Amino acid sequence: MLEIKELRVNYGQEVVLNGIDLELNSGETLAIIGESGAGKTTLGLSIMRLVEGTVRGTIRLNGKNLLSLTDNEMQQIRWSKIAMVFQNANNVLNPVYTVLNQIMEPMIEHRLKSPEEAQDRAMDLLGYFGLPRERFPAYPHQLSGGEQQRVLLAMALANDPELLILDEPLSSLDAAARAQVGELLKETGKHCAKLVTTHDLDTAGKLANRMAVLYGGKIIEVGPTQDILSRPRHPYTRALTRAYPNMTTVKDLQGIKGRMTHPVSGCPFHPRCTQAIDVCRAKIPKLAWNQERHIACHRGGIITLMSTKNLTKSFGSLKAVDSVNLHIEAGETLALVGQTGSGKTTLAKTIMGLHQPAEGAVYLEDVKVDNRGKDFYKRVQMLFQNPGESLSHRLSVLEAVMEPLDIQGVGSKEERENKAIQVLGEVELPQTRDFLNKYPHHLSGGEMQRLAIARALVLEPALLIADEPTAFLDASIQAKILKLLLNLQEQRGLSMLYITHNIAAARKVSDRIAVMLDGKIIEESAASEIVTAPKQAYTQSLLSAASALHSTAYIP
Amino acid sequence: MLSKRNFITYVIAFLFILLLNFLLPRMMPGDPLIAIYGDEALITMTPELKAHLVERFALDEPLWQQLGAYFLALLQGELGYSYYYSAPVLSVIVGRLPWTLLLVGTSLLLSTALGIILGIESGWRRGSRTDRTMLAGLMSLNGFPDFFLGMLLLISFGVTWGIFPLAGALTPYSGLSGLALLLDILRHLFLPVAALTLAHLAGGYLLTRNTMITVLKEPYMLTAKAKGLSQRVLKYRHAGRNSMLPVVTQTGIWVGRVITGALFVELVFAYPGVGYLTYEALLARDYPIIQGVFLMVAISVLVANFLIDLSYPKLDPRVSYAH
Amino acid sequence: MHIDLKKEIKESGPGKTGLIILLLMIAVALLAPILAPYNPYQQSTVSLLSPSWDHWLGMNHVGQDIWSRLVYGARTSLLVGFGVGIFSTLLGTIFGVSAALIGGLYEKVVMRIVDAFIVIPMVIIIILIAAYIRPSILTLVLLLSLLSWQGGARIMRAQALSLKERGHVAAAKSFGANHFYIAWRHVVPDLGPILLVDFIYGVRRAVFMEAGLAFLGISDPTVVSWGMMMRDALNFSYLSVWQWWLVPTGVALSLTIIGLTFVGHAAEPTIEPRLRGVEIA
Repeated sequence: MLEIKELRVNYGQEVVLNGIDLELNSGETLAIIGESGAGKTTLGLSIMRLVEGTVRGTIRLNGKNLLSLTDNEMQQIRWSKIAMVFQNANNVLNPVYTVLNQIMEPMIEHRLKSPEEAQDRAMDLLGYFGLPRERFPAYPHQLSGGEQQRVLLAMALANDPELLILDEPLSSLDAAARAQVGELLKETGKHCAKLVTTHDLDTAGKLANRMAVLYGGKIIEVGPTQDILSRPRHPYTRALTRAYPNMTTVKDLQGIKGRMTHPVSGCPFHPRCTQAIDVCRAKIPKLAWNQERHIACHRGGIITLMSTKNLTKSFGSLKAVDSVNLHIEAGETLALVGQTGSGKTTLAKTIMGLHQPAEGAVYLEDVKVDNRGKDFYKRVQMLFQNPGESLSHRLSVLEAVMEPLDIQGVGSKEERENKAIQVLGEVELPQTRDFLNKYPHHLSGGEMQRLAIARALVLEPALLIADEPTAFLDASIQAKILKLLLNLQEQRGLSMLYITHNIAAARKVSDRIAVMLDGKIIEESAASEIVTAPKQAYTQSLLSAASALHSTAYIP
Repeated sequence: MLSKRNFITYVIAFLFILLLNFLLPRMMPGDPLIAIYGDEALITMTPELKAHLVERFALDEPLWQQLGAYFLALLQGELGYSYYYSAPVLSVIVGRLPWTLLLVGTSLLLSTALGIILGIESGWRRGSRTDRTMLAGLMSLNGFPDFFLGMLLLISFGVTWGIFPLAGALTPYSGLSGLALLLDILRHLFLPVAALTLAHLAGGYLLTRNTMITVLKEPYMLTAKAKGLSQRVLKYRHAGRNSMLPVVTQTGIWVGRVITGALFVELVFAYPGVGYLTYEALLARDYPIIQGVFLMVAISVLVANFLIDLSYPKLDPRVSYAH
Repeated sequence: MHIDLKKEIKESGPGKTGLIILLLMIAVALLAPILAPYNPYQQSTVSLLSPSWDHWLGMNHVGQDIWSRLVYGARTSLLVGFGVGIFSTLLGTIFGVSAALIGGLYEKVVMRIVDAFIVIPMVIIIILIAAYIRPSILTLVLLLSLLSWQGGARIMRAQALSLKERGHVAAAKSFGANHFYIAWRHVVPDLGPILLVDFIYGVRRAVFMEAGLAFLGISDPTVVSWGMMMRDALNFSYLSVWQWWLVPTGVALSLTIIGLTFVGHAAEPTIEPRLRGVEIA
């Protein structure tokens, strides 16, 4: 019913929308998600032809291109076929007329109703959206923000439009009102199409059945709302869900590195993307189907970094690792949780190549790993349990961090030294000469682990396998190390295989959790699901035994 | 920002006027009776009348007693007696009042309404040639004093082209009635009203135009446009209605200006209203008339302002009636 | 706060025009003795003469040269205009700023008086007073100033109130400064643009008033005034004298006022954003 093709909107030199393609059918609700400045309000306004800038492309409403209509024809369509609910700011309603009057106005002016009919309908609409009767003859400034929002909603529906555009429709309502009004909105206009523009993922979840993510003037991901929210495929969308405080996610909040900048050549997100490659800088990706989702990414969305297939390792008759199938995506943390002896460390060492698997294989970016050469270790690094042991007491801080670079022969000595010092800064260790000349036994437990992380990062790996990285540390230091790991993920797009027996810690840093018992993976799912609704009894027991501050922390 | 003039302000103004009226003649050198009643009085008053008046107004008593007597007389509605016209001041003024009311009322209405409409249209098209021309034009028009405008109109339309009559409110001794009389009055009224209206058009125009420019930027104008309303509705019902508000606040002050303007215009056109009366009284030094007119005009302006202040909350629902 | 008024006026079309007109009028007034070939008060027996080479605008009903009177009339208008402008802006500033800074009962009383005077039409009061005392030019300037400072006072007070809240004023107070110091060093300098606009509109009002009062015949008869000239011309309007007597005088008067209006209008945007809603003229 609504078809937008190649919509481009400029304000002078500034490009706000850079080729938008969208489709909407009646009865559907599509949410456009974008942060401030992304252009979502401009999108809504350009459909109504209320933007000040230059608009190119086509916007078809039931086959007719709105951009080719005369001003008069457009004027007739406004509020009779398409209506808009504006973001509720001050003075969106005319202060000198009553709210009832303002709802009646479009009905009368478009000659769709007589004044008496208009008044009846206006009162019905206001009542429907929950405005108390005594408020009907009020003036806008006499109403609260929430009440004004209801008026805006009622006003938009006055002429029963075919297309309803809503700009942040729930933003000025409190939580309880949101739920209520959200329901009302879903009910009304079951036959009309709704376009909701918002930055709020919760609003999208409540109101829309389909969702499109807008970044840098382009749609980067489109699909069913719940699908996208539970399994985002574009790095930006995933980052949004990670940055959004909500009751479902258990992992700590993470931001997105950098800031949105205009203009950008190639993919609009590439300066902030942690899996960008050369082509991302050069060409703009088109919205395409990648077997699961419509997505605009040269790499087809978030790639799978590492996966194992039927990986098995035995020590004699004991199967330490039994047909393990795991995968880790770029920029995500998979926690491997299990008790001592479950085979976690063996699995890690097998992946790293320190053990030879009996069966199965490891794949890196879908390429089977046979020989682990320097290339492999450039991309996968490991963090061992006891930093005191994994750091040679013969090497100074600087030498320890430079060691991987020396082995790999990367750049000149000076370049390696600079790189080492830079990474030390990233893990928040001092970069003074004094410190660089210290030896590990001079350092505290936390500093040693940071040093180990720096050493692991210096080769710029994509995957960090961290085996109980905080086991030997005090709780307060543990918190800092975990935060550091989250930051590194945010800044570098680092993927992590986080191995631990402590499920309470795991849930703060992982997107997904895999539970291991006797060499087998018995359960694997999103962290939020594992923690709230585990399927296996063993998992349940792990949760009950996990650290809790109050005795009633967990009610399964 | 509204000026919330409250009642006390008007009381102070009123008292000031009364005091001025009272003090001026009594501060002049010489016989206070002459100062109050004018030179003519000296000739026509009998000694008994003089004595009576001296007693009435306590002219030989201390000042504050005189004030009391003055107030008393006022309260009784006595504005004095004009020896020039040989009639009580009140009746003389009342006789001339209808013409002035006609002139002032029509001009005020026309200049305010036209000013608002032109201001809306100009503000709507801000920056366009129409707007800039109107702006320059009206600002220039504003520079012409009303009496000069009156004279120009008189000379061109009255003397040179003879379309309109040169003086008076109606043709004397014509014995017209009904529609013919009405037309005659209108013919005489036309030029004075034109002069007064043109001279005061710019005030309302400029204010409305300025307000219009700010109003057009408000969010509710986008909302109204989105509703698919016609240009006319947008301009007048939405923008215009909001732009009018400051004009209404100022109307009270403009009443004062138009009334004083009427003074000059009546003079130019020999229009027999209160203004012309004042001029004649000035020439003849008929102080009672001058005082009476002054009092009437000042009080009417005060009352008009007060009434307009009262009615403002009805137009702007954001203003609460807290006085 | 660094608003370049000169730039504002120079860049506005009407502003430039207005400024030129004003400067022209001032030049005429200053150069009157040079520009006027005759003594404007010198009467002669020849009257109501049409324009000729000797008398560019002809002669009036008592044989005075109209052109000379026109030129000298500029002096009266501008003298009264600027005199009242300065004086009333001064009074308005003093009362407005002091009311804002001192506050309390003083402020209440002053503002009540200000409001009361704004409502009363100025002309009526002057006419009343003038009926009793024929004012000389000096008295006229005084009277007009006393009756017109109130409008400016309201604006000055509003602005001073907001300036009072600024940081540098609070700092000065903490150093022990008294009201006068604060007014002089911190408040008044920032009022610059508003003072100027108030002044310009004050001059305009005064020129208007002076002409009007002269027209009514109640101003100083010993000076040449455009208003008085127009009044005299009116009595002879049935003759063709109006072409060279009335119109040039009226045009000169109107031009002066228009010049002031344009300059004032050009200067307004410098203060308008901060004074939304308060009428200046």
